[in-house]
Parts: sequence; C-alpha cells; structure tokens
Amino acid sequence: MSETRHTLPLAGLRREHSGSFGGKSSNLGELIAAGIPVPPGFAASATAFRAFVEGAGLDGMIAAELERMSPGDVDSVGAASHAISQAMRFAPVPDAVRDEVAQRYAELAEEAGVADPPVAVRSSALGEDSQDATYAGQQETYLWVRGADHVCDAVRDCWVSLYSPPAITYRARLGPSAVEPAMGVAVQLMVDAVVSGVLFTCNPVSGDPSMVAVNASWGLGLAVVGGEVTPDDYLVSKVTREVVREHVHDKDVQYVPDAGGRGAVRVDVPKERRGIACLDGSALDALVDVAGRVERYFGSHQDVEWVIARDGELPASLFVVQARPVTALPRPGGTPAATSAMALVMGAFGAGEKKD
Amino acid sequence: MAAPSTTGSFPNPYEVETPPGCEGWEEMYPYYGRFDEERREADEQRFWFWNSMHFPVPMPAFDAICIDTAYQALGSWQNRVFAVPPAMGIDWRCINGYIYISGNPVLDPDRIAERAGYFQQRAGYYYENWNELYAKWRTKMEALIAELGELRVPELGEYEPDAVAFEDQETSYCAVLEAYRRALRLHDVMWQHHFEFLLLGYGAYMTFAELCKANLPDIPDQHIAQMVAGLDVLLFRPDAELRRLARLAIDTGVDPAFVEGRSPEEIDAELAQSDAGRAWLAELEQVKEPWFHMATGDGLYHTYTSWLDDPRIPYASLIGHIAALKAGEDIERPTDHIAQERDRLATEYAALLDDAARQGFEQLLALSRTVFPYVEEHKFLCDYWFLTSWWNKIREFGDLLVAHGFLENRDDIFQLSRLEVYSALDELLLTWATGGRPRGPKYWPPIVARRRELLARLADWTPPPAVGAVPEAVLDPALIMLWGVTTQRVHAWARHQEGGSELTGTAASPGVVEGVARVVKTVGEIGDVRDGEILVCSITSPAWAPIFSKIQAAVTDIGGVMSHAAIVCREYALPAVVGTGRATSAIKTGQRIRVDGTAGTVAILE
Repeated sequence: MSETRHTLPLAGLRREHSGSFGGKSSNLGELIAAGIPVPPGFAASATAFRAFVEGAGLDGMIAAELERMSPGDVDSVGAASHAISQAMRFAPVPDAVRDEVAQRYAELAEEAGVADPPVAVRSSALGEDSQDATYAGQQETYLWVRGADHVCDAVRDCWVSLYSPPAITYRARLGPSAVEPAMGVAVQLMVDAVVSGVLFTCNPVSGDPSMVAVNASWGLGLAVVGGEVTPDDYLVSKVTREVVREHVHDKDVQYVPDAGGRGAVRVDVPKERRGIACLDGSALDALVDVAGRVERYFGSHQDVEWVIARDGELPASLFVVQARPVTALPRPGGTPAATSAMALVMGAFGAGEKKD
Repeated sequence: MAAPSTTGSFPNPYEVETPPGCEGWEEMYPYYGRFDEERREADEQRFWFWNSMHFPVPMPAFDAICIDTAYQALGSWQNRVFAVPPAMGIDWRCINGYIYISGNPVLDPDRIAERAGYFQQRAGYYYENWNELYAKWRTKMEALIAELGELRVPELGEYEPDAVAFEDQETSYCAVLEAYRRALRLHDVMWQHHFEFLLLGYGAYMTFAELCKANLPDIPDQHIAQMVAGLDVLLFRPDAELRRLARLAIDTGVDPAFVEGRSPEEIDAELAQSDAGRAWLAELEQVKEPWFHMATGDGLYHTYTSWLDDPRIPYASLIGHIAALKAGEDIERPTDHIAQERDRLATEYAALLDDAARQGFEQLLALSRTVFPYVEEHKFLCDYWFLTSWWNKIREFGDLLVAHGFLENRDDIFQLSRLEVYSALDELLLTWATGGRPRGPKYWPPIVARRRELLARLADWTPPPAVGAVPEAVLDPALIMLWGVTTQRVHAWARHQEGGSELTGTAASPGVVEGVARVVKTVGEIGDVRDGEILVCSITSPAWAPIFSKIQAAVTDIGGVMSHAAIVCREYALPAVVGTGRATSAIKTGQRIRVDGTAGTVAILE
C-alpha cells in the first residue's frame, strides 16, 4: 500500500487513537488486542472527514446554519440539519481518501476470500463514547454495504450523520464547551446474524454489578438498538449463571440482508418465531463469558453490541461489534459507610450508633 | 423529584360488611378484639393489615390464644425488654374471623432517644453473648417441652383415689384446674421463649440482606439465604432420619414392605412379622422422639398436627426414598457441595463490592451466620414440637369434657375460647363434686355447632389485604422484618384497592414521578409536548431528542432496557417504563399518571 494518511486496520488501533479515529474504532482495536472475537476491518480517521469538509469548502456554510438555528425548536433544528446534510451529500470525497478506502476494502476482501464482501460501516465520533458524554443512537450505521464505491458513499453518509437533528441538539445542549465535531468511521466485515443484541456488564437500571443484562432479537442488530422491537430481556447472574429474570416478547420485525445483495431490509419475523426466546442457555453462557472478559479488560462496565452468526457453533459464532463504557449508571449502595456490623444492625432497629 | 404520594385507600374497618349467614361471628373472640365504637376515632386512622402469614383462615375461638399470647410475648420483648426505639408492640383486631394487626409507633423523639439507650445496652448484650445465651435457650426450651410431656390430665372417677384419703394428694377438682392452668402457662412460656431472640435474629439477617440489596439490587433472595444458611440445622434432621431409615430398610431386606399405596398400619403389620422388620420398627421408635414432632403444615392452628399424629407423610417419604435408592439415585443432601457453594457465593459477591461495603458485608455475614441457627431452629422447637404436642394436650381436656357429656368430640374444645373452656371445666368440676345436674351438656354443643358453621361460611369470604388509613411510610422494624410489610408493598395494595388501572412494563430508568400524560402517536405531534409532561408514545426515535429536556418521564408501548427511550431517559435521569404493550391506548392525554421506573409500573390516577 502506498501511503496511509487516513486509515488503519482495526487491529492496529488502541485507546490512544480515539482522538483521531473516534471511540468506536479505537475500542474495537482494544477488543481485538484483548483476544475478544471481533469481525476484522479497518477504520478511517477524522483527518479524512476534515479533508472532505475542507476540500468541499463547507466550513462556513455549516457554521452559518448552526448559528441561525434555535436548539429548542424542532422545526428549526430540522431545517439546519437538512441544509447541511444536503450540502455534504453533493460534495465529492477527496481522491486520496477514496483510494485509501478502496485499498483497505480490497485487503479485507482478500482476507475474507470473497470479492466485494458485505461490510458494516459505522460512525465513530470523536468525543463520543467517553465516560461523560455518551449519546446513544445519534450516529449512523450502514449494514451490508458491498463494493468500494458504496463503502465510500457509506463513509460519507456517516459524516453526514454528525449533523442529524439529535446530534446537533445534543451538542447544543452541551453548550459552548462542545468541541468542534469530527468523526472517524469503522468498516467491518459483516456477520450474517441470526440473533443480535446488546449486553451490559451490569444491570444499567439498578446498577447491580453482579448481573449481566442482555437484550436480544432476531436478525441484524438494528432492531434492538433502534428500539423497533421489544427485545427478549435477560438478567443473568455472573456469580451463578442463573437467569434471574427473563422476559420473552413478541419480536415482530427483523433486519436481514436484502435479496439484491446490498443493504439490510426490515421484514416481518415469521409468526411462529416471534414469541419464542431467541437465546438459550449456551448462548447466554457465551455472552456472560464475553461480558466478563470485556469488563475485566477495560476495568469498567461496558455496553456491548454483539451478534451470533447464522453459520457456525457457539461460542465461536459469537462476535462483538462494539463496546463502550456505560455512562449514567445509577450508583447502588447508599448504605452509610460501614463502621461495624453492630452499628448497621442498631441502625436497622432505629437505634443509631452504638455507644461504648 | 416529588415523593410518591399515597393515593389510594383501604376499606374503612367499620364499614366492612358481614357476609350473609355469618352474623354473630364476634361471639368467638374476646371483647377487645373488635373494631368497637369506643376506639373508632383512633382505629379508623390506623393502618391495619391482614396477618395472612400466621392466620390465613378464620380463627377458631380457642386458637385465638395464639394471637393474644404471641403478641403479649412479642410486645414484651420488643417494647418492654429491648425497647426497640421507634416501635412498641402489635395490636390486633378481628374482622369476620380474620386477624388484622397494627404496630404502635413511638413518635416522641426524646422517648426514642431514651429507648435507644436501653436497646443498645440490652440488644448489644444479646448479640455479644449470643452463643452462650442461645445454648441456655435450647436447654430452657427442651425442659419446657419435657414438662408439657409430663403434664397429666386427671380423670374424674366415682370416688377419689386412696392417695387423696391417705397420702395427702390433692383433690381432683384442684388437680384438673391446676393442669389446665399449667397447660396455659406452658403455652405462655413457649411464646416468651419464641420471641426472646426472634427479633434480634431476624434483625441481623435483614440488615445483611438490606446491605446486599442496596449494593447488589438484583441479587436473588435465595443467594442471600444460601450465604447465611446453616449446614446442620434441626429442621433438616427429620428428613435425614427418614433417609437413614430408608437405607436401613434396604440393608436389612425389609424394603419390600414399603409399597406405594399401602397405609402405615399395613406396612407396620407386615414388618411386625419378621425379626428384621421388628428391629426396623424398634429403630423407628427411637427416631420418633423427637424427629416425628415435625408438623404436617406451617401454622398456628390446632388443625396442624405432627408426623406422630399423621404418619402418612413420613411413610410416603420413606416409600419414595426407598424407591429412589433402589433406582440407584443418590438421596443424600450434598452438604459438601452446599458448604462450598455457600462460601463461593460469599467470596464472589464480596469481590464485586467496594471496600466500605465489603467490610460491612463480611461482618454482617459473620453475625448473621451466628444468629441464624436460632431463626431456623426455633421453628422446630416452638412452632412444631411444642405446639403440636400442646394442641394434643388440650385435646385431653376435650376428652374429659366429652366423657362427661359437655362436648360431642374431643376437637370440639377448640370451638370454645380458653376462658370458656375454663368455665366449662369449672362447671364440670362443680357438678362432679356436688353430684348436681350440669347445664353444660345442653349449653355447649349448640354453641360448638353454630361456630363450626360460622367458620365454614367465613372461610368463603375474601378479606381485603388491609383496612384503615394508608400510611405514608412503614417504619416499624417488626412489620418489615417479620411480615415484609414495606412502604412500597402497602402503597401497591392501596393502588390495587382503588381499582386504578395499572400498566406494567420494563423498568428502564429508575425513579418515580407523577404528572400529566401527553400521548404522542406520530412525530408530527411532538411539537405539542409541554414542559413537565410525561411522554407516552409507541416508540421514540433519535429524532425526538429535543423533547427529552422538557418531559419528566417517558412511557412506551414497546422497547427494552437498551432501547433509545430507555437510554436517553437514564441520561437525563428521567424515570422510564418501556414495553408496556398498551400505554398509548390505555392512557389519554391530560390524565394524571404515576410512572415508577424502578418497579416498571405505570398507574393511571384519574
């Protein structure tokens, strides 16, 4: 490969790359380093985004639109977003970036052993996914993208998502302290998922650190993350592997690869599969295992997107496609700092501190 | 955030109707056990809940002794001995044969402080000397049971025995009355022993459980119990003995006698025909004392008998154990595994806690393991062994009354209150002594028949879970520790009582708020959302972001813990319940609703 100014293989990324490649891509690199199964891929740096914006001369136009916008007003946010997005979609991706992405994609095709392999293209925002400021769902993911040109277009579409109404509302909420937005992009080989979902290495609602919380639904991961289905919901004890809570819901839609070979489409789940649990004991076991490894590696609670491949057997068919720190976690506890068991018991009886 | 209000109400205890045909049920209970007009003003304002844990069916008149004595004992220890600072004892009232109880709080801060001084000193003494005091308790309790076994109910013959004439033995009328008084006294003392350690034992365990739940909110209760539970406790002994007898039956070749469907008498009869069988029966006799004093049920009624009274249960177990052993199964309780698992759970949970919590966890676990044998064992000694024996002792007085025509069956005695039994015995002894004609044989049987009929009818009535006022908070440690009656539970009862429809879904973001609902069905309607409203929608999408800074909670029809609405609500610290299934159809814009994002419930308040 000639010159790599804007891209690197995911396996080559570490935490320290998050400033240039974004949290998502650098976390994927960390996961690979930790030996956690992650589909191979590559990442584009924020320099590619900057080269695009500068090359197309969009800076002034974007600033002007944002200046005009009133953050609390849905219509005004929508108008600003629309104007910026349209301008970006018609702007060309610089040749240097386009060639580099095509080259990395060709390498990925060679690794996969197929021509034009389907990939997932995900935005990897800078500053996103930090402990302080996670904002879920505001950046785009494009599934089942095939062919170098389409990958390149999807990369641009990710950049566009930086100016979606929720994203600009979110930055407006942060106020003047918000840094100049920039975005990396992760491109990963696509796993044809039979089941996919999200897990938390704790219970994100109660904060219980002894639990792994799993949401799962049929097909590719979009349905769960997008809240388009009520997923099956499991709470599994890390200590005993018991399923402490299980709610199986009607999962009426799923995303599957489009029959035309490009993109993912939303289809109805066959009636007979809607109401049945999409994870069994061995799948939950594999997920709890992975949860433990991810949590130990990062040393903090993580929110993990995962997929189980249609082909293959567990645990080898389980892949992690994203991990990020859990934010806004309720702190369990609230017990006064334990002085002694006797003081705690006295407190339970309303007798306060024990006198000597 | 606004505190959850205590909307909802319970029935007024003075307005609960007597079911048709049950008029006059009050005659079975003491005068002070009713909701009477003299105390109306105070009693209407109190919170009373049905003690369905101990008194699930209408109380027979005699069995009501287990209310009075138990609460005399509980109140004495809690209020007069340990002086638990915020709570005195428990009052009871009866509605249609069902027992409602209410705690007496201590509200004056000076008195609470004064009581705290007593509590720290006295409860502290118990905790610090637990093992020694508990060993003494076991001795006291076993002596009490032995005394009950030795208590004789004299017969009334035509002539007094020679011993009365020649050896200064007391007369039979004195002896019968003394036996009855002693029987009542032994019952009093049993409850005194029963409650000596109970509150402190549960208190330590509950404190440990609370610490676990505060730091590990989803920990199954079962795991907490597993970490604390003893390995070799009395309650497991009866079944352990049955397993041993099952093995003995196989080893000595008498197992063919244990055929499914045979009665205990038939099995005994076959065993009696061989030496090996007779040896097995002799071993069984050894086991019976004390292990067949296990009760056949769990409750404070004379109808709960022991294995000795009804051997069908232990014999069914024996047949099952023998069949399992012959099928090559391992029927032993895996104590090694239980011990390992108990320690593994404790170690792994401790490792998940931060340092301060871990220190409390470890100390409280140690204290709980110290006190827990009592919590487990008092049940066998008090509730099972003593009480099943004691009801039988009372039946002996029933036999005496039957023998003289005062009652038709020995169990009829339980249809009279303990004071009515005293009265009947008084008359019996009077007329036996004088040779006069007793009124009792005509007086008591119709009363017994009427009360049996009343109890049968009252059994069909469904008592409300609580009556009286809805408390803002439940603070009484005894109510919380012994009955699990918490503020949350009581408020859930009240809401249910009110008939207000409640939706349940996934608890997605914690917190409770009340407010006005805004049902939003399409993106076009999100502009209508006003500050402080609760968003009710089918699902939310990222495009709705601007309104999350306006709303105070969100409810959705579909979605899970990780759906967009849930994540954003946690981010904004707004309560959320997702996946309710029917929020947008059940709730109308403008209605007041309460969203409990911790419990996963949505209540429509109007």
